[in-house]
Amino acid sequence: MTLLEPRLRALWNVIRRARLRAATVSVLVGLFWVACFVLFTRVLGYFHGLGSFGPFLTERLLSLLFLTFFGILLVSNTVTALTTYYLAGEVTPLLAAPLSHRRLHHARFVETAVASSWMVLLVGLPVLLAYGVVYHAGPLFFAAAVAVLLVFLVIPAALGVLVTTGLVLVFPARRTRDALLVGVGLGVAALVVAVRLLRPERLADPSGLAGFTGFLAGFGATGSPYLPTTWAAETLLPLLGARPGEPLFSFGMLASTAAMLFQTSAGVVERVFLTAWSRAQTGHVRAGAGERPLSRWLAVLVRPLPRVPGCLFAKDVTVFLRDASQWSQLLLVSALVGIYLYNFSALPLGDATPLAIAMRDLATILNLGLGAFMTTAVAVRFIFPMVSLEGRAWWILRTAPVPLLQVWWSKFWLGWLPLVVFAELLVAATNGLLRVPLPVTVVFLVTLVPLMAAVVSLGLAFGAVYPRLDTQNAAQIATGFGAILYMLACLGLIALVVALEAWPVSRLLAEARSGTVGTQTLVALAAVAGSGVAVAAFWVAKRIGMRALGRLGGA
Amino acid sequence: MIRLERLTKRYGTLVAVDDLSLEVESGCVFGFLGRNAAGKTTTIRMMMGLLEPTAGTAVLGGHDIRRAPEAAKAVTGYLPDHPFLYDKLTALEFLRFAGGLYGLRRADVGQRAQALLEQFGLTRTADELTETLSQGMRQRLALAAALVHRPRVLVLDEPMVGLDPEGALELRRLVRSLAADGVTVFLSTHSLAVAEELCGRIGIIDRGRLVAVGTLADLRARARPDDGAASLETVFFDVLGAARDA
Repeated sequence: MTLLEPRLRALWNVIRRARLRAATVSVLVGLFWVACFVLFTRVLGYFHGLGSFGPFLTERLLSLLFLTFFGILLVSNTVTALTTYYLAGEVTPLLAAPLSHRRLHHARFVETAVASSWMVLLVGLPVLLAYGVVYHAGPLFFAAAVAVLLVFLVIPAALGVLVTTGLVLVFPARRTRDALLVGVGLGVAALVVAVRLLRPERLADPSGLAGFTGFLAGFGATGSPYLPTTWAAETLLPLLGARPGEPLFSFGMLASTAAMLFQTSAGVVERVFLTAWSRAQTGHVRAGAGERPLSRWLAVLVRPLPRVPGCLFAKDVTVFLRDASQWSQLLLVSALVGIYLYNFSALPLGDATPLAIAMRDLATILNLGLGAFMTTAVAVRFIFPMVSLEGRAWWILRTAPVPLLQVWWSKFWLGWLPLVVFAELLVAATNGLLRVPLPVTVVFLVTLVPLMAAVVSLGLAFGAVYPRLDTQNAAQIATGFGAILYMLACLGLIALVVALEAWPVSRLLAEARSGTVGTQTLVALAAVAGSGVAVAAFWVAKRIGMRALGRLGGA
Repeated sequence: MIRLERLTKRYGTLVAVDDLSLEVESGCVFGFLGRNAAGKTTTIRMMMGLLEPTAGTAVLGGHDIRRAPEAAKAVTGYLPDHPFLYDKLTALEFLRFAGGLYGLRRADVGQRAQALLEQFGLTRTADELTETLSQGMRQRLALAAALVHRPRVLVLDEPMVGLDPEGALELRRLVRSLAADGVTVFLSTHSLAVAEELCGRIGIIDRGRLVAVGTLADLRARARPDDGAASLETVFFDVLGAARDA
């Protein structure tokens, strides 16, 4: 407990010093919690109402849920353990203290498990609560649910520590971290694509339900009796009254496996920690032959640019391309874009019924907002962290004879150019899939130019107002409080622009169908108004961003 | 060459730097001494434009840091107490980047970077990412970057931290040689021995106020008029003691 005290006190101090932020995060978490609970209560209630088929489905769903949690936790713990055990700065004083490696393992283990599992706990608890409510379970179920979840979390944490320790003993820690980060990106992207390809929309279609239940049934048949996920489900299902079973035996299996793996992890770390730690400290990475072409290529690319902006551009691109966490995010974004396009291609809009026409019109109008919002999701991951990624090296830029405005513009162009191309391609492609008339597409593409400028300017502003200079992991920066506010601000701006253009565009669509002409002026005015709002947002955000950048000093 | 004019920094009721004025002439090595939290780093951060002063200003090489920050920075090199670098750049790339920021021509920056890497014993690590360098090597690299544009003013905040004896010796030689070439060096340090060895003039700051300034002989005459051989250490504690009593 002594070893965890600094972390707990630091957390308490953060909460005490930023009460408003803590309150906002608590409210958001609470809302998420309630939303999860309500959603699962409805889904489970629906399944439960399917007669004799219901319990079968809910059983399989619980097993699927535990299996998904297990996969996420295993990856998350492996990545986190690498940092908490072998890369974190605070390990050095602990190692120098008169402290057994076993105690050090225990403290780091708790930290790893908490850092990796809080999200699963956040989702898992309302889900299990929903199970209890739908099945009218007794208090024993709720107590068991908490116990099962807590014991269940230990198993992937122990496995993660063991895998990480093995990897560090074989590979340099920094290379391991990069490989793991890219691996996680690939894994998550694959999972997202796989879930989408299951076509969950079939649930809305009674004829498709048979296929989905078939999937669940098929999944359930492969649930091995040797898996902790099966023991977790088998502990809870009898307590729900879903079917008879031996919950005590299953829980015993789960708890004893968790204890055994924890002891194994402690034993292994105790024996090899110093060797693994030493290897992690000597991970010299030569950029050498592999990286020199990047420098040369960028030097040629920036030659037409003025000296300082070219220099800033080359630096930012080099840092970006060498950051494994950015690659992992790129993979995830690619998967999301693929799904986005697939969703549009799968929309049933082919016929000329009034319903199909109305749906197509609605999808068209919303497409500007959805495309912009999709691009904002990308911006949160790549634009918002731009300021934070300068990190404590800000002093280099601030003490150089480079006006802050030049730094701001350099970051702006670097963010805006790819983002606007991305947004234009996305909206043009999806409009093509929706067979939207050309004038409407042109209006959207014109609007996107200032809108994306505003999104980037807001990203730099929120990034500078809420900087996280303590981490170099872009994915971590993109999940902070400032990132949430940034998303909300962009959402508001996009909604406003879409609202301004919705009615004129719907008129234009109707005219395109009937072959009449008359609303061009109205549409042009709407586009100008939408663009004006975006330009105003760009300008205000730029001012705020510049002011916040001026306050950042770095080292 | 360096002029601080009534430089003041307040954080609410706390006065971190209080009406600090001093002048350092060209080619002089000025030692800036004081206890922890005396206001040394705050002063330097205001001088370098990293922190907005509450009042007053700093003039570097004839350029006011508040009115003409780019011109002031263009003639100044700076080494912070904890020089964080870009982890994902190699040592050579970092120096090229620094050269670019200071407007060095593309044709010159490569040669200059190679020369500095050699001067600071970093040639073998030129292609290594800075995240893999030791603290001492990072310190050397940051110092090399501070010199990439051949500054007329050099501001060093605790430059000896992290340097091995060889590195510290080289740095002392470098400071002397730069001063001989007319570069003005503003050196903040806790090492009184280094200050005694290198600095032509010394300023002592306590609780944000400059309590003494002059050559070592001036300070001796003021603190220990009867002891012409008193060390800087003795003088330093006498000055601080007197300041506290006042």
